[in-house]
Amino acid sequence: MLRFLLRRLGRGILTIFVSVTLVFFIVRAMPSDPVALLISPQMTEETQQALMESYGLDKPLGTQYILYMKELLHGNLGTSFAKRIPVTEYLAQKLPWTLLLLAAVMVIVLVIGIPVGLLAASKKGKMADRIISIIVTLGISVFIPFMAFLLLYIFAFRLGISPTGGAYTPPMGEGMEFYLDVAKHLVLPAVALSITNLANVVLYTRNSMIDVLHEDYIRTAYSKGNSKGRVLRVHALKNALIPTVTVIGMQIGIMVGGATVTETIFSWPGIGRLIYDSVNALDYPVLQGAFLLMAVAIVIMSFITDLVVAWLDPRIKLGE
Amino acid sequence: MGTIVEFKDYSMGFQDDNGKVYNLLDRLSFKVEEGKALGVVGESGCGKSMTSLSMMRLLPDGAVVQGGEILLEGENILNMSKEKMQQIRGEKLAMIFQEPMTALNPVLTIGQQIGESLTLHHPEMKKQEVRQKVLEALEEVGIANPETRIDQYPHEFSGGMRQRVMIAMAMINRPALLIADEPTTALDVTIQAQILDIMKRLKNASSGLMVITHNLGIVAEICEEVVVMYAGQAIERGTLKAIFDNPLHPYTKGLMASVPTIRSEKKPLYTIPGTVPTVYDFGTGCRFADRCEHCTEKCRKEVPPVKMAEKDHLVQCWLI
Repeated sequence: MLRFLLRRLGRGILTIFVSVTLVFFIVRAMPSDPVALLISPQMTEETQQALMESYGLDKPLGTQYILYMKELLHGNLGTSFAKRIPVTEYLAQKLPWTLLLLAAVMVIVLVIGIPVGLLAASKKGKMADRIISIIVTLGISVFIPFMAFLLLYIFAFRLGISPTGGAYTPPMGEGMEFYLDVAKHLVLPAVALSITNLANVVLYTRNSMIDVLHEDYIRTAYSKGNSKGRVLRVHALKNALIPTVTVIGMQIGIMVGGATVTETIFSWPGIGRLIYDSVNALDYPVLQGAFLLMAVAIVIMSFITDLVVAWLDPRIKLGE
Repeated sequence: MGTIVEFKDYSMGFQDDNGKVYNLLDRLSFKVEEGKALGVVGESGCGKSMTSLSMMRLLPDGAVVQGGEILLEGENILNMSKEKMQQIRGEKLAMIFQEPMTALNPVLTIGQQIGESLTLHHPEMKKQEVRQKVLEALEEVGIANPETRIDQYPHEFSGGMRQRVMIAMAMINRPALLIADEPTTALDVTIQAQILDIMKRLKNASSGLMVITHNLGIVAEICEEVVVMYAGQAIERGTLKAIFDNPLHPYTKGLMASVPTIRSEKKPLYTIPGTVPTVYDFGTGCRFADRCEHCTEKCRKEVPPVKMAEKDHLVQCWLI
């Protein structure tokens, strides 16, 4: 077990290192100069120079990289070009909103996705399964920005029962009222973001359940006198959930990095929206920080997924 | 001595997508008597497994019963309610399957799986009592260290050990009839012998035994009665002695001739030309006609009647 943990830790650090390096250079390969955005022509030569120096932009790329990595080891992600506040602080402001959206999406996906997938599998080929399959195919192939705008058009513009964007109505309220206000703002982005994830989870659960129901051990279970319900619950569910868990784990990891398109459309103040704004502002340190966060989240989620899968399936031994 | 299970003119077949039914089992009649073992022999594709699954009412999708009766202690299984059937499976009728590698659920412990057979039919039984009985059952089938083994998962067992577990699972309720569908086919020869020993030892623990196999050696070793099946028909049946000493049907003769003996000369073994036809190409006459060396015009056109060759020896052939 210790060996497994050490190996996963090593692999995780390597993954994060590679991703940080790639992001560092890719961000700087953008065909624009942040200096031009930072510095106004009215500034004196000395001020310009001082600003460039304070952000380390006067040094060659290699030196900048080494400096960045050194600071990273000390937990310093740098300072935002645009906001002039530490990137860690900036991310910490935005992360809770993304996590809230993520949690809402996961509740929708788990509470609806798994039962619907199981229902479709147990009614394979019948009307219910066919209808579910059609909806799932639509859900997977729909263009999410289009869905997001459609939702906004119907619920915010036509019906007027939903806010058009943001996470709350300013000024920030207090107590219960504030939570209800946030919940109201949360519904549309959560629904828009759930569509593809939900469709994927239904599809995976349905297909793996159908595969499992054809296994020999299901026939053995029936031959012992199990009822259909008990066969599904005791003998099939655990086996069928293994692929679904893997998919959900990966989805969570990716979503911690924020859903750029959805968050931008709904002006949701999360990491995704931050990435969009930072690209526009050529805010290198914030971009790097956001992608680092995503890499860390994916590494952690894949570790947790492995643990859950190993717990579900005794054939998988951690560390072998 | 009573009859445990009797097939009376039982017919079943498969329905294709257009609703056309292709007959497989054709007016099957035979009995399993109390205290006796019946061997059902024939090549692959002769309907042996469908015979046993019919008895458990666990036929695959697309299979349809066309007529006849299957009587369990005088009651027709085919008319029983779903709930009644669940009570019978595992309690009165127990089954061992061909593939021990896949017939056990990979995510449940051996103890859970054997214990389930007990608790399904004796829900009042206490946990401790169930465990005790499972341990005894494991010991009975020759599994060493049952105390450790009971909490292990199927993947920690070899094929032979898993088949022992299957036997323990099937025998734990002391069923009226144990159906063993090719119990040793997937095992290597030394393990086969061990499993056969266990089955012989446990033969008297259930009131009746039905062994489905293509291995005539197994039949000779544990059975008293034999049914020879070909393409869904019981073409010859009788006591072990009658069938082995005086095979009458050309197919039975062919089967006997293709078994190597210790005195076999060093020449190629006899083979029956051709292969078993599929349900889609059964002719109108004797289903063995195409492969029979003594086939006549009549054989091709008309189904031969079942004739009593001697006491306890029936055969379905025009030539007798």
